[in-house]
Amino acid sequence: MSDDLDLGVLAGSFAEMLDAEWPREKAVAYARADHLYAEDLWQQMAALGWTALTVPEEYGGLGMGSAAVAALHGALGAAAAPVPMLGTTLAVELLLRAGNAAQQAAWLPGLADGSLRAAVAQPGDTVVAADGDAVSGSVANLLDAASANILFLRAVRGGKPAWIVLRSDAPGLSVERHALTDTTRTLGTVTLDGVALDGDALIVPADAAALDDALLRIAALAIAADAIGGGERVLAGTIEYMTVRQQFDRVIGSFQALKHRVADHQTALVAARGLVEYAAGLAADHPQALLMAISAKQHAARAVAEIARDCIQLHGGVGFTAEFFPHIYLKRAKVNEAIHGTRPVLLDRIADMLEAA
Amino acid sequence: MSRVYDIVGKVGDEQAFRQEIRDWLAEKIPAGWRARWQGVREEELKAEIVAWLEERRKVGLATPHWPREWGGPGLPFAYQIMVYEEFARADAPELDMYTISLFHTPATLFEHGTQEQKDKYLSGITQGTDIWCQGFSEPGAGSDLAALRTSARREGDHYVVNGQKIWSSSSMHARYCLLLARTDPNGKRKHDGISYFIMDMHSPGVEVRPIPQITGESEFAEIFLDDVKIPVANLIGAEGNGWNIAQSTLSTERGLLIFGAVERLAHSFGLDGREAKDTWMRDVQHRREYAALYAELQSIRLMIRQLLIELEANPDKASPTLPTYIKLTWGPFLQRYTEFLLRAEGLEALKWQPSIPGTGHSSRLRMNDFLKSYGWTIAGGSNEIMRNIVSERILGMPRG
Repeated sequence: MSDDLDLGVLAGSFAEMLDAEWPREKAVAYARADHLYAEDLWQQMAALGWTALTVPEEYGGLGMGSAAVAALHGALGAAAAPVPMLGTTLAVELLLRAGNAAQQAAWLPGLADGSLRAAVAQPGDTVVAADGDAVSGSVANLLDAASANILFLRAVRGGKPAWIVLRSDAPGLSVERHALTDTTRTLGTVTLDGVALDGDALIVPADAAALDDALLRIAALAIAADAIGGGERVLAGTIEYMTVRQQFDRVIGSFQALKHRVADHQTALVAARGLVEYAAGLAADHPQALLMAISAKQHAARAVAEIARDCIQLHGGVGFTAEFFPHIYLKRAKVNEAIHGTRPVLLDRIADMLEAA
Repeated sequence: MSRVYDIVGKVGDEQAFRQEIRDWLAEKIPAGWRARWQGVREEELKAEIVAWLEERRKVGLATPHWPREWGGPGLPFAYQIMVYEEFARADAPELDMYTISLFHTPATLFEHGTQEQKDKYLSGITQGTDIWCQGFSEPGAGSDLAALRTSARREGDHYVVNGQKIWSSSSMHARYCLLLARTDPNGKRKHDGISYFIMDMHSPGVEVRPIPQITGESEFAEIFLDDVKIPVANLIGAEGNGWNIAQSTLSTERGLLIFGAVERLAHSFGLDGREAKDTWMRDVQHRREYAALYAELQSIRLMIRQLLIELEANPDKASPTLPTYIKLTWGPFLQRYTEFLLRAEGLEALKWQPSIPGTGHSSRLRMNDFLKSYGWTIAGGSNEIMRNIVSERILGMPRG
């Protein structure tokens, strides 16, 4: 199968399941309790094949591309679903780009069926020295490390950039969890104390920079889509509230000062969605694929963080309570801005690319 | 030695079509037109524009978006888009003064004009002899256009028109005016009772007074109408149906017209960054701001392309909301980008310079382009009205 499966139908099926299984009340309740990740939801997603989306068919997957990635992550962002899907998306990309046949065979089926939950290091995460048969060191703030059972860490071996792949239960490996304000994700500090590197643990890419770019592109598309999904959902919910909440004997949604802000947010979302969808639809080897992906990420993440910020203000006092939903989206939006390239980092890269064009 | 060009004959082979336009443009774009047109007197400018229109007419591209039966090349929509893309890429001059003639008049007459009206008026546009203007807005009817008060009273075989129009571009050069006037002051709604006329600007009682603009130009004018007689044959559509017909006129601003403007800006955006490689692109803050604006520009180009694709597939089924989003995004973007260039380039960009006609919103005279950007945020329904449309009509929020 490839991307000829209708993306609209696919996105519709994602949204339908999440609307049923992860409604707003559930998201609000989840945010108020202590959880690692939404295990039931993850199991349901896996059973429906969502975790297999980009895994090739020979490893039990659907073999779809970046447009499908954006559709899935957009739906997860809309629901603010607390599942470590980004790790799966990135781990599959990494293995397909740089893993050998044995590594692909070892891990892709588990990623596809959801039994493996991956945490993949971001650009800038600590690089582990991996010259011997065992590794020691510490990687702070690895996204979704605590809920993962397989870790993909940046390493250096023989002076060359590499990746090491470790099971979370490997002897000598421990993960200390840090809660985020965004309760839909967690961070973890990974400590390695003489963890053995077995034969399959090491990935040495032929072109480490090209691999980093490929991972950045996929991460940017997934996060940009997540942001747009979240932005649309928080704005829709805010409009809903504004049409029932009354003050001065009228619904507050009739006040032009408020409506014009909503109109600007809506317009920004429509424009940004087009950019994200276009970027996600470009083939990985298109000359503008990375430029468009990171442009979409920096733009969508910033725009949505601003919209989510204003949605709390538009709610008034109830927006400041944990009983209402907007805070979930604001917190998730702020994490989206911070991961896989902050805006200045991406803008510098974009400017470089525009100058070279 | 000039060769013979057959651009229209290349339809069917996209690459050959583009190459033929490029070759033709490379040879025929008036050399040094930007320098020559800058600050030129209006009569000289008109002669230059007519000469360029004539050059375009020789290869069938005077009116690239017109059907064959009315003197256009009858290009498939995708090829019309290519023409405007290539014109922007080659920095071909725009046909200033002729915007209404080339876009608004045909958009109105193709759909609502009688055979006689089309026969009589359309050829004067392709020949470049007749400039048209639009008489819609009034001092008391801007964003609230339906509140217009110019009256047209039927007397035998003509109407007698009295009133005042404003913001009428190129009306000082115009031979004809697309005029909205109230034929029935007692309509149930203010949109009722408005009729649509072709007015001969040489008629007795028409007085045009140019309005000095903040850019230093007087590109638009007021039109005073004092007992102006318009023959009944110049009524477009049925009496009282003017409001609906005006929507056709205005719809033209949503398609190729805005596409051409944005493509032209996209072209100069790239130049701006490359030419600044040793100046403001070395400053990290300006560099990042430029890179951020790139994403916005792309998002606008994508929305317009999406709209054009939908218009080509079926004009009646094209998204009714996309034009509003495009207008709300493009005008403010243009304003912020041109304002950014003012900050990036400093005092040099603030020097007074005569404007360059034919450059749309990309003359690259920074202050002129910045000031002109208000044309997109105020004209054609101010963006505040657009925000009402988005919140009330699209999102269903209650009226205040």
